[in-house]
Amino acid sequence: MKFTKALALVLCVVLCLGMAACGNVNYAENNTEYVIGVSGPLTGGAGMYGTAVANSAQMAVDEINAAGGLNGVMFKLVALDDMNDATKISTNYSSLYEGGMQVSLGTVTTQPGLEFKNLSADDNVFFLTPSASGDDIPANKNGYQMCFADGNQGKVAAEFVNENFKGKTIGAFYKSDEAYSKGIYDQFKANLDSSITVVETTFTDANATDFSTQIDTLKDCGFIFMPIYYTPASLFMTQAKDVVAKDAVYYGCDGFDGIDNIEGFDITTIPQEITMLSHFNSKATDGLAKEFIDKYVDKYGAETLNQFGASAYDCVYAIYGAMKKAIDDGKDIPVTISASDLCDILMAEFEGGYTLETAVTGENITWESTGYVNKGAIKYVIKEAN
Amino acid sequence: MNNFRKISWHHYINYIVIGILTIVLGSIALAGGRFNSSMLFLLEKVAISMILAVSLSLVVGFLGELSLGHAGFMCVGAYLGGKVAALLEPTLGNSPLNFLIALLVGGGVAALCGVIIGMPALRLRGDYLAIVTLAFGEIVKSIFQNTSDETFGGALGLETPRYDKQYLFIFAFILVLITLAVIQNFIRSKHGRAVTAIRDNEIAARASGINVTKYKLLAFTISATFAGVAGVLYSFSNYTVQSAKFGYNYSIEILVMVVLGGMGSINGSIIAAALITFLNTKLATVLTGDLAVLQNLLYALILIVIVIYNNAPSLKSFRDKYNIGTLLSKLVRKKHDPASIKDDKAKWDVVPTKIEMNEVLSIDITPQDKQGYEKKGGDK
Amino acid sequence: MELILSTLINGLSLGGIYAMIALGYTMVYGIAKMLNFAHGDIIMVGGYVIYVFMALNNPLLAILMAVVFCVILGIIIEKVAYKPLRGASPLAVLITAIGVSYLLQSLAQIIFGSANKMVTVYDFGSVSFLGVNVQVSALVTLAVTVVVMIVLTLFIKCTRIGRAMVAVSEDKGAAQLMGINVNGIITVTFAIGSALAALAGLFYLLKAPSISSTLGAMPGIKAFTAAVIGGIGSIPGAMLGGILLGMVECISYKITAIAPYTDAIEFSILIIILLVRPTGFLGKKRREKV
Repeated sequence: MKFTKALALVLCVVLCLGMAACGNVNYAENNTEYVIGVSGPLTGGAGMYGTAVANSAQMAVDEINAAGGLNGVMFKLVALDDMNDATKISTNYSSLYEGGMQVSLGTVTTQPGLEFKNLSADDNVFFLTPSASGDDIPANKNGYQMCFADGNQGKVAAEFVNENFKGKTIGAFYKSDEAYSKGIYDQFKANLDSSITVVETTFTDANATDFSTQIDTLKDCGFIFMPIYYTPASLFMTQAKDVVAKDAVYYGCDGFDGIDNIEGFDITTIPQEITMLSHFNSKATDGLAKEFIDKYVDKYGAETLNQFGASAYDCVYAIYGAMKKAIDDGKDIPVTISASDLCDILMAEFEGGYTLETAVTGENITWESTGYVNKGAIKYVIKEAN
Repeated sequence: MNNFRKISWHHYINYIVIGILTIVLGSIALAGGRFNSSMLFLLEKVAISMILAVSLSLVVGFLGELSLGHAGFMCVGAYLGGKVAALLEPTLGNSPLNFLIALLVGGGVAALCGVIIGMPALRLRGDYLAIVTLAFGEIVKSIFQNTSDETFGGALGLETPRYDKQYLFIFAFILVLITLAVIQNFIRSKHGRAVTAIRDNEIAARASGINVTKYKLLAFTISATFAGVAGVLYSFSNYTVQSAKFGYNYSIEILVMVVLGGMGSINGSIIAAALITFLNTKLATVLTGDLAVLQNLLYALILIVIVIYNNAPSLKSFRDKYNIGTLLSKLVRKKHDPASIKDDKAKWDVVPTKIEMNEVLSIDITPQDKQGYEKKGGDK
Repeated sequence: MELILSTLINGLSLGGIYAMIALGYTMVYGIAKMLNFAHGDIIMVGGYVIYVFMALNNPLLAILMAVVFCVILGIIIEKVAYKPLRGASPLAVLITAIGVSYLLQSLAQIIFGSANKMVTVYDFGSVSFLGVNVQVSALVTLAVTVVVMIVLTLFIKCTRIGRAMVAVSEDKGAAQLMGINVNGIITVTFAIGSALAALAGLFYLLKAPSISSTLGAMPGIKAFTAAVIGGIGSIPGAMLGGILLGMVECISYKITAIAPYTDAIEFSILIIILLVRPTGFLGKKRREKV
């Protein structure tokens, strides 16, 4: 009996909540600022990325607000933590959306982004993701990317290898069960010159710390392509420093970003060269990139300075710029505009050839109608061989 | 036989409450009322948790074996059901028929896996089922993670058709009712009593002519089937099925629901499933980052404290004095009529099934520590 | 040839760690008749203790502290979580053990955060052997494991406590009648198992100088698999199972086509062994008596 009573009670509570939650409304109707939402890993293994995105986007929002906002209307950023876990997205998305989010930066990482893109498409919410690089992320028409798609990164890396290692043997090390890592590697392999032999080895356990078998496989390779995140990469390099040839090159993608800022990992002890493909040079000495670096380091310190943040900074300015352009073109964007209405306006702008002329991560950035970004890539040497 | 006539509406209270809830919310939805997405997501998640908790409760609470791969069976159901639904979508559309076929396929394959896993593990006594199901969960996860993009999506996860969220929860709760009907009737049947007999004393049960392996396998397979059904439901409530979700931690979360609800109590499992899912969702945006670990800490404490409290032989007198039932009845000051013995409420663990020789002996020799033996005829 | 040799050495060193953990598992299982799920997490605790004491830059002190801390922790866990349940159903003990495992992991995460911590205990360097680059730490691991196995076997065969352990594992009731302090023996077993786990934690840090709160989870499960393969309750069996599993893992990682399925292969072996030979390679068959 005690259980049945408690059961009745709980279900009644649920019922009441359900009754109270009826209605199809514009959740932004009480907004006093434009609300930008983002979900990313603020903690955990990829925590550095989410933190960088949240910090940089906040910095951009603060700057825009300090300069008077958009025709006097301020912006507000809401960042939620998803710990790189796709199952947290439905909750994060609905609390952002029902909390009045009008436009979004999507997710910081790919795996949660695969869920986010569909949820946002259902409600027609525009998002421009700074760093969720999966090829499928901008599949729906409401989604855009500021970073290079994985396939593109793999292709650019393959072009580099084709040019420099024709007829030679190279190594590859990737995480076979991760969308990001496998996505890049598959495209890399597909675009590789047939004269090049690849010795490939993989790992699966996210908590793996011991890579001795894999290192043993790759020990004779002078060039190792590693489309993985910085934590396993740093472990691999630490264990491989005496095994792999001293003049070898570790070539990574944007997942390498931040490898020089890991606590307890001294990059100078690694004799090999570490190179990554990026759209942002964190040692830039001039231009907007330099300004961004100075401001960021001043405000948040150098530990979380990386291209994810730079990209998020650009995303906020791109959204701001597109909204400004739409208003100049005669569109009306009240502060209480619904996410769906704003999405239609922004999609029209982005499809109509909207250009972000100056940015931290490139110049004259445009978007294809597929949602992929058009801009130049930099091969950035994090550390030269000793 | 008189007791059987006394089965009153109390025995169906869980059906009644969930049924009314489904009908009311469902008719609002069908009449065109629109709910918040967060509300709908919550309802779907609650239903999935309920199915998982009730089905795991059959194995843990009634069979007395531990399954740590419940999420693995769910994973099989989610992938297979989701794949079938995705293949049928062009012809059948996102219709209830498609959903039904997916349920049959997902549940069926999960049942098959249950038989395959249960066969070697359930023949053996002790903790083997726990470790084998744990291994099964990891195997399933790693197989689906490494499939090609065309088959099961590999690392990206499988894209599955998502059923219209305004209506899916109705099907979800109908599935909860079906789960309840099957499992509750199984437990109250002859077979169910055989299963509880095995839990209480396997050797005695075997001696009474119960086919132990058959009943163990039967209960385990039913449980796996409904885990698969929950998986199909999951695939219909999400756009992608990513196998990373179905890990060890998720299996533990389901176990926590069963333990919190009280092992051997179906209604307890339902309430605990609803409660934990509700709190998880509501706290998800609060307990993030380094605070997220507090959830695991809480789970750990629930497992340790509740199990020790409920099972420690030395706490028996304390338990009898201060259990929730007596405290509640003191609170309500309800008079207990000793004549009203209800069926189906028998405390199987207090029925003396056998007295061991060493237990009798130990009373004389070491009176201060007479609990130091296994009561239940372990390996000797 | 070179490939075979290097795989062999890698497999042996990984297998040595598994064997070390499996030894602890098998002792606790053999004597207390319970699957100590938290065993793997004691490895992690040992690793963190080493990490903390390495701040003093004295590897020997750090290792000693890790062993002492883990022994104390093992005894506390046994007294607080498992002893009250002696006499209760095996299911209750198992669930509590899972709870303890979860508790240790989440406490470690609360104290040290979720990010990996890097710590180098001692760099043994590497030597070249028949053209193969061999990590000296791998050889140290293997050597220590073999020594520990021999010492344990002698301990059990030749000391009073060891023989008492055998007696308790055979029949608790009869052992108590013979004047053996059953509770004391179980405590000693947990202490030894935890000390072995601390050493396994050290070996992990020697192999890969990084530690996180989930360090012990997977190795713990795999080591149990190893213990079952070798025959649970048997000390040489744990050694054999550990080495075997380590070899399988390394060979599987070498073959590109099956590398992603390595974990699946290892666990499939467990299921097959249970199907074909539930007592493992060196385990004794026990008859159930009423």
